[in-house]
Amino acid sequence: MEKKSVFQSAIERGVSRRDFLKMCTALAATMGLEFSQTDKVVNAMETKEKVPVIWLQFQDCTGCSESFIRSSHPTTESVVLDLISLEYSEVLSAASGHQVEEAMEAVIEHYKGKYILATEGSIPEDGIYCMVGGKPANEIYERVAKNALAVIAYGSCSAWGGIAGAKPNPTNAKPVTAFDSGDTPVMIVPGCPPISEVMTGVIAHYLTFGILPELDGFGRPKAFYKHRIHDKCNRRAYFDAGLFVESFDDEASKQGYCLYKVGCKGPTTYNSCMEMRWNGGTSMPILSGNPCIGCSEDGFWDAGSFTERLADIPLPQKIATVDPAVIGGVVTGVATAAVVAHGAATAVKKNIDDKKNTHEDH
Amino acid sequence: MKKKGLMDHIFGAHNYEDFYNPKRQAKIKDLGDGKVKVLVWELPVRIWHWVNFLAIIVLMFTGLYIALAFSSARFETHATDFLMGWLRWVHFVTGFVFMAALLFRIYWTFVGNRYTTFDIYKPGFIRGLWESLKFYIFLPNKKPHTIGHNALAQFAYWIFFGLCSIILSITGLYMFFEPQQGTHFMMNTYILGWVPHVFGNSVKLHIWHQGAAWGTMIFMVAHIYLAFREDYLVRE
Ligand code: HEM
Ligand code: SF4
Repeated sequence: MEKKSVFQSAIERGVSRRDFLKMCTALAATMGLEFSQTDKVVNAMETKEKVPVIWLQFQDCTGCSESFIRSSHPTTESVVLDLISLEYSEVLSAASGHQVEEAMEAVIEHYKGKYILATEGSIPEDGIYCMVGGKPANEIYERVAKNALAVIAYGSCSAWGGIAGAKPNPTNAKPVTAFDSGDTPVMIVPGCPPISEVMTGVIAHYLTFGILPELDGFGRPKAFYKHRIHDKCNRRAYFDAGLFVESFDDEASKQGYCLYKVGCKGPTTYNSCMEMRWNGGTSMPILSGNPCIGCSEDGFWDAGSFTERLADIPLPQKIATVDPAVIGGVVTGVATAAVVAHGAATAVKKNIDDKKNTHEDH
Repeated sequence: MKKKGLMDHIFGAHNYEDFYNPKRQAKIKDLGDGKVKVLVWELPVRIWHWVNFLAIIVLMFTGLYIALAFSSARFETHATDFLMGWLRWVHFVTGFVFMAALLFRIYWTFVGNRYTTFDIYKPGFIRGLWESLKFYIFLPNKKPHTIGHNALAQFAYWIFFGLCSIILSITGLYMFFEPQQGTHFMMNTYILGWVPHVFGNSVKLHIWHQGAAWGTMIFMVAHIYLAFREDYLVRE
C-alpha cells in the first residue's frame, strides 16, 4: 500500500495549493480551533499520511453514512480521497463480498494499531441477530477494535444503543462501549444522525494532533458536545420572556415563540446543531419551527412523545410513558383526600371515645 | 438482673425516653404546680423550620411554573418581558437558601439537643414505630407520649424529607450549572461530575428533581395534617 501525505494525494487529484489551504482553514474552523492554529492543520496535512479507516455497520439504518457523505466543510470527497483512506465500508467500498473482507484483514495486519475504526449501529448482546460475512457482530467488533488505534462510535445507536436498543429491545442491543475494545480508546459521536461536519471534524482533529480530541465524562468530544441546544437557541429570548407556542400553527408559532411547551428537548440536549446547523449550515429543526427531539441524548427514543415535555416516567414492561407532573398531581391529590378522610374519622372516633368516657364517669 | 438479649435490645426499651441521647438534654423550665415545660425545639430549629417552609412554598410554585409554563401566550410584547427568567432566578436563589438551610440542619443534628437527632439505630425504635403506626390507624396502642417526634414521624422525616431534600439539592445544583458544562466544576468526578452517572442524563435529572419535588409536597400534606391531629387528640 502506498504511503502519501494528505497534501500529496490532494495535489495528485488536481487540487490547487490555494484550494488545499482553503480546505485546511475550513477544517480548523470546523474543529473550533483559533485561526492562528490553521498552520498546524496545514503542517499536519502536508506531512502526515492518510489514516486508514475501517467503517463497520451493525444494527443501523445507514443514516450516519448518509449524513457523512453530505459533509460540506470539508466535502466528503476531500475527506475520503485526501484525509483518510476508507479501506472498508459497506456503503462506499467499490468491492464487495470476499474481496472486501480480505481487504479488511489486510488492513488489520498491515496497520495494526494504526487504523481508526468507525462504527455505526448498535451491537446485539448475542451477535446472532447481526451477522456480517458469516460472523456475529460482537466478534467482528472486538477483533477489529482491539487492533485499532481508536474507535469512533458514530450515531446514537453506536453511542447509546439508540433505536435498536429502545424498548422492548428484542435483540438486546448495546452500545459499542459495552463490548471489549482492549486498550483502544473509544470516542462516541452521538446524534441521529450526527452532524456531518462533526463526523469529519473529529477525524481531522485526530489527523492534525495525532490524538483524539478532548472528551467529556460520557466520552463525547467536548468541542462539539459541551453546550446545550437551549443555551444557544435563537428562540431563547422568548423562553426567558415566558412566551410559548401552545400548539403547532397557532399565532405564537407564527411569531416564532419558544417551543418548550410543544415538547422541545433543547433544555436537555447536548449537541452543536445551533452553531453548526445542518446541510452545510442551511437550517436546523428549531430554526424551521420544529421542537428539538433530543436525538443525541441517551434513550431519546424512550423519552416519550416528541411533542411533550418530560413525558418519560417509564411504566414497567410497557412502552407507554407518563408525565411526572400528572403522577405527582394525582398522588398529591389522593394524599390530600386521604388526609381529609382520616381527619374526619379521627374526629368521629374522638367524639365516640369522649362520650364513652363521660358515660363511664357517671 | 436479666441480661439484655438482642431482641430486647431491638424491641425492648419500654421507657421510650431511653433511646434519646441522654447527654444532650433539652432545657426544662419549672412552671410550678408540678408541671414542667420542655423546650424541645430550640430557637435555631424553629427558625430553620419556617425558613425551610417558606423556601419550599416558593420553590414549589416557581418550580411548577418552570415545569408547566402555565401562563398563556401574549402578543403585545415588551423588551422587558422576562417572566420565565425571573421565576427561574427566584427558584435558583431560593434553592440556595434551601440548600444552606439543609446544611445547617444536618450540622444541627450533631450539635443540637437530643430531639434534633435521628435514632434509627437506637434500641426500641422499631417498637416505637409500630406503636405509633397503630396510633394513626386507630388501633388500640401503647404509643408512648414521646417528647419531640415519635418514631414513625422520625422515620418519615428520614425517608421522605431528608432523602428528597438531598436529591433536590444535588440534581438542582447540577441542572443549575448545566450551561457551564465542560468546565472543571462540572467534569470533576469529585464535585458534580458523578451526578449524571448516578441519576442519568439531563432528562432523567429533571424527572428526578420533579419526582422529589412531589415527594416533598406529599410529605408536607401529611406533616401539616398530623401536626394538627396530634394537637387535637393529645392536648393535655
Ligand atoms: C423543595 C425544593 C425544590 C422544589 C420543590 C423544586 C421544584 C422544581 C420543579 C418542579 C422544577 C421543574 C422540573 C422540570 O420540569 O424540569 C424545578 C426545576 C429546577 N430546579 Fe428546583 N426545586 C427545589 C429545589 C431546588 C434547588 C435546591 C435547586 C438548586 C439550585 C434547584 C434548581 C433547579 C433548576 C436548575 C431547575 C431547572 C430549571 C430549568 O430547567 O430551566 N431546585 N425545580
Ligand atoms: S425552542 Fe427549545 S431550545 Fe429553544 S429556547 Fe425554547 S426550549 Fe430552549
